[in-house]
Amino acid sequence: MSRLSLWIVLSVLAICALPFVLERHSTELMIFAAFYAIAGLGVGLLLGQCGIVNLAQAFFYGIGAYASAYGTVVLGWTPALGMLVGVGVAGLIALAIGWPILKLTGFFLALATLGIGIIGTILFFEWDWLTGGTLGIGGLPPLSIAGFAFDTPDRFYFLAWGVALGLLWLAHNLTNGRPGLAMRAVRDAAPAVEGLGVDIHGLRIKVFVICAMLGALAGSLFAHYVSYVSVESFTVQRSIVFLLIPVIAGPRVVWGVVPGALFVTLVPEWLTGFGDIHQMLFGLVLVVVVTLLPEGLTGLPARLGRRVTR
Amino acid sequence: MRISRYFRAATAALALLSAGPLSAQEKESIRLGAILSTTGGLASLGLAERDGVLLAQKVLNARGGIKGHSIEIVVEDDSSNPDAAMSKINTLIHSENVKAVIGPTGIAQTVAVGALTQREEIPLLAFTGMGPAVEASRTCVLHLTPAQGLNARALLSYVRDNGGKTVGVLHDSGYGQVIWGVMKDLGEEFGVTFTAVEKFELSAADATAQAAKVKASEPDMVIVLSSNATGFRNLRQVGLTQPIVSVHGTALYDVVRAMGDASDNVVYAEFLIAEDPLPNQTEFVAEFQKEYGRLPKHFEAAGWDAVMAVAAALEKTGPEPAGGALCEALRGPYPGAFGKYDFSAPDMGGLTLEAFSYSLLTKGAFSRLPYHAK
Amino acid sequence: MTMTLVWQSLLAGLANSFIYAMVGIGIAVIYKGTRIVNAMQGDFAVIGGMTAVFALSSWGLPYPVGFALGILAGTATGWLIDRFCVRPMMRRNAEEDAFLLLTIGLAFTIGAAVLYFAGRDAHLLPGLGGSGSVQIFGAFMPVHAIWLIVISLAVVFGLWAFYRWSIIGLSMIAASISADGAETNGIDVSRMRGYTFALGGAIGALAGILVTPLIAVSYQMGLGITLKGFAAAILGGLANPLGAVIGGLVIGVSEAMAVVGLSSGYKDVVALGIMLIMMVLMPNGLLGHAGRKGG
Repeated sequence: MSRLSLWIVLSVLAICALPFVLERHSTELMIFAAFYAIAGLGVGLLLGQCGIVNLAQAFFYGIGAYASAYGTVVLGWTPALGMLVGVGVAGLIALAIGWPILKLTGFFLALATLGIGIIGTILFFEWDWLTGGTLGIGGLPPLSIAGFAFDTPDRFYFLAWGVALGLLWLAHNLTNGRPGLAMRAVRDAAPAVEGLGVDIHGLRIKVFVICAMLGALAGSLFAHYVSYVSVESFTVQRSIVFLLIPVIAGPRVVWGVVPGALFVTLVPEWLTGFGDIHQMLFGLVLVVVVTLLPEGLTGLPARLGRRVTR
Repeated sequence: MRISRYFRAATAALALLSAGPLSAQEKESIRLGAILSTTGGLASLGLAERDGVLLAQKVLNARGGIKGHSIEIVVEDDSSNPDAAMSKINTLIHSENVKAVIGPTGIAQTVAVGALTQREEIPLLAFTGMGPAVEASRTCVLHLTPAQGLNARALLSYVRDNGGKTVGVLHDSGYGQVIWGVMKDLGEEFGVTFTAVEKFELSAADATAQAAKVKASEPDMVIVLSSNATGFRNLRQVGLTQPIVSVHGTALYDVVRAMGDASDNVVYAEFLIAEDPLPNQTEFVAEFQKEYGRLPKHFEAAGWDAVMAVAAALEKTGPEPAGGALCEALRGPYPGAFGKYDFSAPDMGGLTLEAFSYSLLTKGAFSRLPYHAK
Repeated sequence: MTMTLVWQSLLAGLANSFIYAMVGIGIAVIYKGTRIVNAMQGDFAVIGGMTAVFALSSWGLPYPVGFALGILAGTATGWLIDRFCVRPMMRRNAEEDAFLLLTIGLAFTIGAAVLYFAGRDAHLLPGLGGSGSVQIFGAFMPVHAIWLIVISLAVVFGLWAFYRWSIIGLSMIAASISADGAETNGIDVSRMRGYTFALGGAIGALAGILVTPLIAVSYQMGLGITLKGFAAAILGGLANPLGAVIGGLVIGVSEAMAVVGLSSGYKDVVALGIMLIMMVLMPNGLLGHAGRKGG
């Protein structure tokens, strides 16, 4: 445990120092990594703590982004209000959808979320009075809190990573406390836990709602940063990327979403020089991780350690 | 390993190869940026544009560059995604210090990226027509393809002048949706009634039910607004025999191949019929065929025109234009291979109905029609 | 709205129904034999279709040979996936979500590989019985669509006979119901799983080849048809190939009716909505007895 803490402290320090040494383009990628870490954290909580595969996260990410875009550009709200409404709406929709579908488990639940993700994309397309359809909504104001505008990449970097790390810390405490124990018990031995009087269905709904709200928060931050939203950003492919974030690093450790988010933002960028083959390499990495490394990349050092000592 | 490195290496090699009195490698090269959708949904357009852009770069440098400076184009891919385009444009402007940006390929990308380039007074030569109202004030964002209203008028002119009174429309939810948004208000002006209007998903592999609905309305002609072959094939599968009239977005060799047997009796309002080019297009068609060994369509021509127009403007301003000077120099008439542009027009492109060539697709082959729109 | 239009849409929906059904049958076969829901079934179809296209157009092989090569490619892919991905995971008792992630990852990889090796163009195959249409009471149906329906029905009947009477078929079911029990009866469970994946791959590839004359095959169509196929299989109770045909009919026909009655943009919303409601309300499918866990 102490070695993990050491790693966490070192990573936090590294993240704080980065904007001072990176060139602009890399800072920008790191900001996207923060959005991915927040949205991926939601997916990771569901997967790692409850064993639920969520393929609808891009839908909630989109709700957050559109609430901010429509609220600030069309209705003239403040960015904070837009963000709040987005997170609230996403939570309510997750509650309404989650209540019936979370009775399903395993494959069926995963495919149900995939169906919801696709329906969401279609609605974003069709309701162009709200979302601007193919053309999207542009001209979002920069995010500002108490008169301080986050209008440069460096400022936004600290905001996004500040939020991401704060949420990670909260999630860390949550999963290591009593709720986390209950969640993991549900994942590993549901019938036994039900016998002890734990409301499994309620617990799963709560985590699903938290996941959706994290997705919406990330989407709202994203919308303010790029100042433009359109349907292309909220497709099923994006949901699959969100799912990869916890999977790559191993879903059981909350902090794994940080290396996961860095992986999905930086690796494709490095591979893009190879042209179309980069997607194939990316897919192969996923297959190899799932097949050979059940604990993800964060489990790799321990695994190698075991090999050596044996 | 970034793609730009390759092109930088390639341009350096090209500069070395290009012998001549004005040896371009002695002076510092002029750097331009390009954001094209070379992967993802718009890739067939983006790749075509890239071929034209790279050809223009090669030809320009072989001719000695601009006042002895070679041209170096940093090509970035936005994967057909507006948020990727936003991150790439920041790199091009702030890290690569480009003088002008060629692209983007898509409408959404252009609207997104234009906000930034306009503020920085860097010319953006977009391969899209003018879209939403906000673009009217962006005088530094030039449009190399016609605005959607003009596309719609070009189609309706043909329908009206060739005896069409009633028209069925089959359009997709992306590009097609945008054109239909303008076309729906033009029916009365052209004396054309829309008997059925059906939409299909951009990603749908099948629109037979929608095609059946269009056919059942028994129109004189059918207009297809799409970026792929699905609609054409489905209309013929349900036994539609009337002529299909369509926009230039599908007048591409690979789309026509994907139509199979349906690539017959289709009329296009388009720009470059390479089998039978106009006088202002012969130079480009010959250069293209020499380089790639195949015939180009209009998206390759637009890529070529974008680079050549910037080069012409740089000849006027010199290699280090002051803030906004390059935009100013670009704003004016430019005779391109795509058509005769006037970048000072209100739609930042200045293409007119006369710019359209009409072609007829017969068993997969394009031929020029004598018709001209007025 | 005329009667001809409704009839024409119904016929179009019918052809689509059998496309979904063929993909659903493949999903059902793999689920029946391994209890894994295969999220890359549509990509077997892409592999089969693309192989046949290239055999015909690039290598100039005759139609039947291209057809056979396409099916062979699907079969081989299925077998390889079992050998190199599923088997190591079974050995360490991986959980259900890990298998789902595996097949999603494979779908992603295969789509990208097809893009890289075969390009982004959509390709067509010539139809069985030519590219003509027949007129049935004023509505058109491609001749090939009729072949598609006939072959699908033949596959369903063949599978029914295979699972009922052949030793291998019975062993495959036994191996999935109780691995330990099958083992004690001398059935090689992991070999049966290999056969199941190969069979699923073959059916998927066949679906792809049959679809390609109607819908041009391209690298990105895998996930979309997987989902429709899954909806069909779910409606049929998931472990029942005949059920997948009935499920396919429900999805295909209601889609077509959604276009006629509703706005055509909502076609997929209707299909997926039916799937979601069925999953929650009728966990055993329309036929009602084929049990599945997890619903």
